[in-house]
Amino acid sequence: MARASGHFESLISEVAKLGGVLEQVSHGAAYFRVSRANLKHMAKALYSVGAYFKTCVGSDETLVSGGMALYYIFGFDEAGLDVVLRAEAPVANPVFPSISAEVPAAEWCELEAGDMLGVRFESKEMRRLVLPEDWPAGVYPLRKTFKYSSRPAPTARRELQEVGGLPMGPYHPVLHEPEYFEIYGEGEIVTDVVYRGFHVHRGIEKLAESERMVYDDVLFLAERICGICGFVHSCCYALAIEKAADVEVPERAEFIRSLLLEIERIHSHVLWLGVAAHILGYDAGFMHAWRIREPVMVAAERLTGSRKTYGINAIGGLRRDVDRDKLEKAVRDLKRVRRMFSEFAGVLLSVPQVRKRASGTGILLKSIARELSVVGPVARASGLYRDVRKDYPYFAYKHASFRVPLYTEGDNLSRLMVRVDEVLESIDIVEQLVDRLPQGSVRTDRVEIPILRKAVASVEAPRGEDVHFIITGSSRPYRWRVRAPTYQNLPALRAMLKGAPLADAPLTIASIDPCFSCTDRVIYCDRQSGFCKPLRSDLLNNSGGSVA
Amino acid sequence: MSYLKLLKLALETGRVTRRYPAEAPMVTESFRGSIEIDPERCWGCGACALACPPNAIRVEVEDDNVRLYYFLGRCIFCGKCSEVCPKRAITITNKFEHAALRVEDLETVIVIDVVKCKVCGRPFGSLRELRAVSEVAYLVKKRMDLCPECRSLTFGSALASARGRRA
Repeated sequence: MARASGHFESLISEVAKLGGVLEQVSHGAAYFRVSRANLKHMAKALYSVGAYFKTCVGSDETLVSGGMALYYIFGFDEAGLDVVLRAEAPVANPVFPSISAEVPAAEWCELEAGDMLGVRFESKEMRRLVLPEDWPAGVYPLRKTFKYSSRPAPTARRELQEVGGLPMGPYHPVLHEPEYFEIYGEGEIVTDVVYRGFHVHRGIEKLAESERMVYDDVLFLAERICGICGFVHSCCYALAIEKAADVEVPERAEFIRSLLLEIERIHSHVLWLGVAAHILGYDAGFMHAWRIREPVMVAAERLTGSRKTYGINAIGGLRRDVDRDKLEKAVRDLKRVRRMFSEFAGVLLSVPQVRKRASGTGILLKSIARELSVVGPVARASGLYRDVRKDYPYFAYKHASFRVPLYTEGDNLSRLMVRVDEVLESIDIVEQLVDRLPQGSVRTDRVEIPILRKAVASVEAPRGEDVHFIITGSSRPYRWRVRAPTYQNLPALRAMLKGAPLADAPLTIASIDPCFSCTDRVIYCDRQSGFCKPLRSDLLNNSGGSVA
Repeated sequence: MSYLKLLKLALETGRVTRRYPAEAPMVTESFRGSIEIDPERCWGCGACALACPPNAIRVEVEDDNVRLYYFLGRCIFCGKCSEVCPKRAITITNKFEHAALRVEDLETVIVIDVVKCKVCGRPFGSLRELRAVSEVAYLVKKRMDLCPECRSLTFGSALASARGRRA
């Protein structure tokens, strides 16, 4: 790591002064033990000196230390340092102070710890976030006493009357994050937004701890977290294990991983630009974007054997090498993609309707973006300079020079522009990495994973920072926590949608790239008439906004 | 008016949609599809079943035969099985058109001769594997046709009592 270690150490000692007991420093992360009483004060202090909030992780450690542990992960972007605070409570009464008033970005992960582990927070009203409504009370799936194979009988569901008595239809799983919004409005203006998600929660974290899996299998499981940026997750999981077990990964493998991550970013962004065009009713743009994406998919297939879910990662490197010939073909294809994409982006941005509907809509202020610790293109469009590839360098990114696009307007157009710029930057990165690709093996045999080691790994996904936290166990993770980028960005939607016209909602929701599909449903409630009706989003798009 | 360039773009590009399935599918030579298992080569050792992340391959020792079940419905096409196969009996093909009317059609079964324990008569492994191993490990050849339990009981006095119990 190219960072000055002096800065690193002074930062760690500053954090220690706030009241934490330093337990270990490893691979760019400092682990502190914090008393529950001190947690709130410390979290507030960290947040106010510029740390971003990454996530919090509840962990049932009854088999290890006897208690229920909660890990709060903060990141100092400028120093490239993760600060992990660990607090513990007895299992019989797992109550922690809530930090979500001081750190608004912690709202969701606290609720999730409540759902999955039965952790409670002082003066915080707990509600279901992840578990379905008919999950029986008092059953906590991530506790070690809960067997993966057990399936508790569902309790009664909430009656529909509460939401207006209208059937809302099935929740359609979209590409990877099915979502449901209740949008409240006065006339055409959105006044509030309620989000309900996690309809396809697959219990992946629990599955990885279960006896069905071993470390290597989890790689393939991680790859299936997302249908678009699966390789990010498998890389992030591999990186976490490699950090925890001090595994040295051959340089060639790091290069190829970075290169494939960029190919994934290119196809993800081009896909999104097509979807954005479609949402704006510009279907010709959609068609051309997806046409341009095709050679990128073929390049990925040629290099890995699969268009998606590449399946070539291994702990300690890669399962297979790529040969020179295929790389050259991929670079040639990407050259063509760059030409076609620049041409297309020029056309897309010159369409007056696209510009008009994207600019000035869905604004996310920098202050709110900072408060919610948003990540990726959403952060970069709101003037926050954050990119894991620069801040917490991993794999081979230090060998490539690239620009991180930054826009300050915070509107839909900025988020669109960030992605347009990033596609071109990513093609540059791929070319540089192929040029500098070192020779050698792609996998190390020396992989031994000791138990109860911890690690935090972050990888820049197309949608932003992906964080994996791991506590190693024997043969399989003891605790594996995944925080996908959309988890961090979705809460920001409320701020983006409130006070804006309803017609802008689809584009705004899509602008954080949660893989929005035309089969998703929104329910529209008019406060004045008290009239609610479910709408299909494609109707909303085509009707140009006059739905009330 | 530069958005009108789209027309030029569209005219230059022409039609890109292929007439699949009338035309050949567009997969590259590196594409990883379903696997094919050579029944002549397979030992039924179960290395592939152990390596398979989604448990798409099962190897079971049954009364009359050792059977390998490959269920396409669970396969994630990672090709790990072909990496670990000691006999190189598994090849990765580029086949991906797997639609079937009945779920049973998604399963491939390979039947291999079973070997039964000379002492207790319990089936315990594949004959082919046993033969191959006994050629290399000739020292243990004598006890090769015993199941692992009986094999461990053939030492010392345990043997006699075990035989007595079983009889």
